[in-house]
Amino acid sequence: MEYQNYIVGKRVPRSDSLAKVTGVALYTADLKLPGMLVAKVLRSPYPHARILNIDTKRALKVPGVKAVVSGFDGYGVKWGVFKYTQDHAMLHTDKVRYIGEDVAAVAAVDEETALEALEYITVEYEALEAVFDPLESMKEGAPLIHEAYPNNINIHVHIDVGEVDKAMAEAYYVRQDTFKAAGEAYAMMEPYAVVASYQNGYLDLWMPNAGPHVRAKALSNLLKIPLNKVRVRHINSGGAFGGRSEVSPGDFIASLLSIKSGRPVKLVLTREENAISTRQVHDIIATIKTGVKKDGTIIAKDYRVIYDGGAYSSTGPIATSIPFYVYEECYRFSNVRYNGYRVFTNKGIRGMYGCHGRAFLAGNEAQMDLIAREIGMDPVDIRKKNGLRKGEATATQSKIISCGLHETIEEAAKRSRFKEKWHTPSKYNGIGMGCVAIMCGFPMGFRSGSSCYVKLNDDGQATIVTGLVDNGQGNESMMIQIASEVLGIPMEDINLINADTEITNLDPGAYSQAAAFVGGNAVKAACEDARKQIIAIAAEKLTTNADDVALKDRMAFSKTNPEKKMPISWIVREAFFRGNPIMGKGSYFPYIDFEREWVSRPYGQMAGTFSFGTSVAEISIDPETGKIRIPRFIAAHDCGRAINPMAVEGQMEGSIQQAGIATIMEENIWHKGFLLNPDLLEYKVPLSCDMPDIETAIIHSLDPEGPFGAKEGGLTIRMNAYSAVASALYNATGKLFKELPLTPDRILNLMEERKEKEE
Amino acid sequence: MKTVKVKFTVNNDKVTLQVKPYETLLETLRERLSLTGAKEACSLGACGACTVILNGIPVRSCLILTPEVDGMKITTIEGLKKGEKLHPLQKAFIEKGAVQCGFCTSGMIMTAKTLLDRNPKPKKEDIVRAISSNTCRCTGYKKIVEAIEAAATE
Amino acid sequence: MILPRLMYKKAKSINDAIQLFQKNNGNTFYLAGGTDIVPQVKLRLHAIDMLIDLKAIKELTGISVRDGWLSIGANTTLFEIKNHSQVREYFPALFQSLDATSCETLQMRGTIGGNILQNTRCLFYNKSLEWRKAKGFCFKMGGETCNVVPNAKACFANYCSDNAPSLLSLSAEVSLLGINGGRRIKLEEIFSGNSKTPFTILQGEILTAIHIPLRKTKGAYEKLRVRDSIDYPLVSAAFTLENGKGLLSIGAIGARPFLYSLDNMNENTVQDVMERIYNDSKPVANTILPASYRKKMARILAKRVITNVLREAHS
Repeated sequence: MEYQNYIVGKRVPRSDSLAKVTGVALYTADLKLPGMLVAKVLRSPYPHARILNIDTKRALKVPGVKAVVSGFDGYGVKWGVFKYTQDHAMLHTDKVRYIGEDVAAVAAVDEETALEALEYITVEYEALEAVFDPLESMKEGAPLIHEAYPNNINIHVHIDVGEVDKAMAEAYYVRQDTFKAAGEAYAMMEPYAVVASYQNGYLDLWMPNAGPHVRAKALSNLLKIPLNKVRVRHINSGGAFGGRSEVSPGDFIASLLSIKSGRPVKLVLTREENAISTRQVHDIIATIKTGVKKDGTIIAKDYRVIYDGGAYSSTGPIATSIPFYVYEECYRFSNVRYNGYRVFTNKGIRGMYGCHGRAFLAGNEAQMDLIAREIGMDPVDIRKKNGLRKGEATATQSKIISCGLHETIEEAAKRSRFKEKWHTPSKYNGIGMGCVAIMCGFPMGFRSGSSCYVKLNDDGQATIVTGLVDNGQGNESMMIQIASEVLGIPMEDINLINADTEITNLDPGAYSQAAAFVGGNAVKAACEDARKQIIAIAAEKLTTNADDVALKDRMAFSKTNPEKKMPISWIVREAFFRGNPIMGKGSYFPYIDFEREWVSRPYGQMAGTFSFGTSVAEISIDPETGKIRIPRFIAAHDCGRAINPMAVEGQMEGSIQQAGIATIMEENIWHKGFLLNPDLLEYKVPLSCDMPDIETAIIHSLDPEGPFGAKEGGLTIRMNAYSAVASALYNATGKLFKELPLTPDRILNLMEERKEKEE
Repeated sequence: MKTVKVKFTVNNDKVTLQVKPYETLLETLRERLSLTGAKEACSLGACGACTVILNGIPVRSCLILTPEVDGMKITTIEGLKKGEKLHPLQKAFIEKGAVQCGFCTSGMIMTAKTLLDRNPKPKKEDIVRAISSNTCRCTGYKKIVEAIEAAATE
Repeated sequence: MILPRLMYKKAKSINDAIQLFQKNNGNTFYLAGGTDIVPQVKLRLHAIDMLIDLKAIKELTGISVRDGWLSIGANTTLFEIKNHSQVREYFPALFQSLDATSCETLQMRGTIGGNILQNTRCLFYNKSLEWRKAKGFCFKMGGETCNVVPNAKACFANYCSDNAPSLLSLSAEVSLLGINGGRRIKLEEIFSGNSKTPFTILQGEILTAIHIPLRKTKGAYEKLRVRDSIDYPLVSAAFTLENGKGLLSIGAIGARPFLYSLDNMNENTVQDVMERIYNDSKPVANTILPASYRKKMARILAKRVITNVLREAHS
């Protein structure tokens, strides 16, 4: 089918912006339901303790309290993303495993009463020894956090391709380094909130989430309510960045309270609770050994990576693997070994993150620059030498069907005058590059695909119904834009119903970078189904062939004789008359090897396609304070085709903050299981004044499978911006970083070491 | 504890309320007046998502006790458009793609409005200085600055 | 986050405020901009049951010249002071510290009185009640230990006002009015040197005005922070030079700013001061970034402010 790209590819205002700029867009904490109660949660003060007893009787007697719950009110069902990681009961009855873990909760007529009632819940604990460092946690004799996981090793991913040891021995140059990074905070602007309303057997829920269907399914299992009676509704989301994909204790708590009280319940977390008791980001220690040939070809990689997972599995196997995959999807590795260990500690639960893996990825890229220098190459040449191309397969056997990697490298290098600057750094100024690939989807079993329905009303306007989720990145608008192109009607004529488990069919959610490629393809397929029906009637009425009919601006017309035309609305009515209303349906399931498993079989097609990107950062170091300034940042991303270039730019620009500037300032700071900066003052989210001059470039590799050639819209920058900064540090100082973030004290130490070496 | 009477103007509407003496302006706006555009993101005045305009000045409404605003004039995001006509900032934020998740948007626009009211032709550094009072996690601020620049020319 | 139950009173005059304070038997805070105390009250750091709003008291706002002093009402906002032409022209150290305080929005609400009388800060202190109960109450919360330094005998919370160091470098004085009448003292005399209770101000006493001797000075303020807006200083340095004599103040380490006079500006006196600063600064691990780094930076910032001012003085 030939499209003229009337609207796809244009910079269009997003469909959701008007409600947001006028203050009427609703988020979970804005909801008010009749009779709604306020919930508050009692949390563990211990990092590790046995629960001996929970007494809620006195709390129930506080006037205005309508329900009190603890783990003893559940069915003891343990949830997990995978069958083999089912370790989380939402509210536990055996142990608490991190400070801030949910233990009990109340629902009362107002917040004051709820807070007061918490003081009347008595919990008896037996404090246990706790462990906070992942390396300590793996040692013999460390306190065991979960019975099922000896040495607190939650997940071990082992990948072995080719003959690593042999290749290392034959390498011209070998280098091994260890890199560390503290885990970040998602710091999304919306603190977590849930509204649950249980009435007549139906449980309705609203919460910011990346996938309502997996929530509903999890809650159905946890609460033993049939799936059709658990309805997760659409609500605006104030940012997720990977941290709101899974069912949370708050969902379970609000549901139980609503069931018990018979009234709607709203639970809103404070910023501190959001930081401590919802998902955090993994701390990582990455040991990277690389062997190269004299011509710069990487012939061997040997990895050992430790992920500090906190107290429960969460997306365990996925988090333990992703940094490796986004890297092996970018470069050619004929021999590679990866041992990734996710380890439990008595800290908050770590999940998948849009910027996940900075120690590993920045370490790889900065080390590559060092190796390049050692063998007389530069960062551009060595990346082009090893960068994958269309038609090739990754080390773990994913075929690449479109690849703009080299174009992103060239474009970023050109715009930044990279080679010129890299070869002549000054003592305190440097330039660096970072590349990465992103899989557009993960193997998610039967949830890997998306489906869409389309209905047209008798005025020729449409409603599209899709499970796709928007967490702020512009997915909803993108679907409307695609539908507009295919149906030939303007965006304002198209309504969207999405992310509602009662109405919309399965979709992978705003998770695994699948919205454009999978969700978009399903919307396109459904709209093409409707389009076919429209065109069939138009061809008949205009007495021409179906091939000759085009749809644009609410009209169907003959391409060869545009005077022959009729409004789409007439066609819709005609279809009703014929007893065959225009109804579109379509699905898209990406080509993924469903035998692939993160731990047991980490080989096979990972995703339908991959995006590619390159970041370049220029840094400047203040020699007396060690403070790094980042005056310029250039990002180039191959998204196949940008459906809305403005939205893709927005993703890249946001990534430069969240991954790039974050490199010099973002970290969660711990003291014996206590999070020292669970707030937005001491956790440093970069502000406008901290941002560099930014230039972005979009590369169109026109993916053969993606809708209009589209792939995911910008996540590469979230996973390579820190590499550019780390590489720039190497360029300026000749030294590899040891630990992220690159706070000024670390830079001063690094420069002192350099000085000592020079003397 | 006894409630106190407070009279003030919100978006040109005169209101008289009985509030708890320890109620914050943010609570009053969101819970009593259903003006949920101002958001609670940090509760401690660090992020600016709760920013409203109080007698012409941008303030963190989460740090103000409602009785403090007796006799004063408040503007919230809901009060910016005139009928169906959007304020130039609202129009520019939409057109320049400066809105992603939208949670910081209301506070960001209110801060920007006070800047333009006081300095109709701001330089880029004035804009950056003003909006460095507000935290955004999605946009990287670039399109927000561009939107304010565009609104200033209108 | 909701506030705990408390009463609100709007004072009509200074005397009215003092009387309301007395009537409530302590357990009362005065409220100006609220940007320092409201977050603390929300975190349940203080068991007060009344806030007395001073903002309606007209005499507490405004900038005037009297008898060779520039007098600034304690309720005057930082933004207003920053934009006052004489402040810009005569007191560059103060202008720079006002401009560096927090962010523009908070400069428009925060008052100079409130900025000076802000509570000391510590990563283990400025936390919710639940967090602190789990950790254990420290000296500053009425407990018996320090959560940062084991076996410490005193509190190490940091006094983080940006403007106190610059005002000290300008030889500022303050006026106070309380139950026992009014007094005017040097700014440095309001500091107790005790992080737990950082001020010598008497119960119920109101800071009414700040006075700076009106004369043209050369000065500068340097602030070390991670982000270029909002953040408190991790270390700060203010320097004012006039007639070849300098006053240098180091802030954000410990209970009060340090103050050093340089009677002449030669190489030796400057080196000597650097040495003294390094020895006097005893930061601990109660902020972002290591204490050893902040200790090093105190000296660097001091060097920078002095260098900036000398360079400007010679041009």
